[in-house]
Amino acid sequence: MEQTELHIDQEIISATKDVFSTMVMMELENGSPVIGKGGEITSNISSMLGLGGGIKGVLAIHCPAQVAKGITGAFLGMDVEELDDDVKDAIGELTNMVAGNLKVFFAKTGIDIKLAIPTSVIGESYHTSGLFGANRVVVPFTNENGSFWIELKYIFTN
Amino acid sequence: MKIKKKIIDSTIEIFSTMVMMDISVENDEVEGSGKLQDTITGVIGLAGIHKGVLAVHIPYPVALAITSNFLGMDVNEINEDVEDAVGELANMLGGNIKTVLTENGRDIDLSLPSTISGSSYNFQPSKDVIKIVVEFGTSNGHFLVELQLEK
Repeated sequence: MEQTELHIDQEIISATKDVFSTMVMMELENGSPVIGKGGEITSNISSMLGLGGGIKGVLAIHCPAQVAKGITGAFLGMDVEELDDDVKDAIGELTNMVAGNLKVFFAKTGIDIKLAIPTSVIGESYHTSGLFGANRVVVPFTNENGSFWIELKYIFTN
Repeated sequence: MKIKKKIIDSTIEIFSTMVMMDISVENDEVEGSGKLQDTITGVIGLAGIHKGVLAVHIPYPVALAITSNFLGMDVNEINEDVEDAVGELANMLGGNIKTVLTENGRDIDLSLPSTISGSSYNFQPSKDVIKIVVEFGTSNGHFLVELQLEK
């Protein structure tokens, strides 16, 4: 099944906006999706969640520090001063929820996805990489604190 | 502990057969991966009746030696070849380890591997996981294998 037939980029946008509006009470603007390699991502925290089954993939949320703290603060209803366990757990949980929405979408097309568990990379200087023959879609989002990115890499296994 | 022994046996076997490198167990009671510096991490998710993450954290000199062995040529910088080699290592380890978690290895699927590299980062699990970290030694330095499993 071609990616363009499935409109995966549109699904990522609606899955993310749905999670953020219902769980974080935050409205988001999205930028143009980037398909394939490319797209400049600057982040201090990346939460990554592996997908298996009908798709081999990985979903990631990449946030700069300020944006991550702002999102966590809105999620938990408190001020967040540093990239601590609360931030790690919040961004990880949001990654899990966006993946959950994508799982529902793929199930409607007959593709069953299983979710692994989120892990978070936190640092001043790192980059994530590795395509391994997969398709890649990156969507930038903006809120009042700045931009963050949702990245989905995937291969259909059938 | 069955899982820890499987991690150790799988890693030694893969390094001996695929990387052509002898490794030793330096410490099988490591608390956590901590602050990773000048390191590249290969990570893969496990999903199914057990959920988890398998990561291998490899300092740059060790990663270069591994990639050089894999490709049969000298690799001197952290480039796409190194990223692919480390991701593939995580993939192979994940494939071996899932066979100890299920009867037939079929009830757990592997995700796509990813790599993370940088001069300074932490690799943090989510809450409610059991974590097993083993430190291995090579002639180029040490590296870590980390398995996180949802409780």
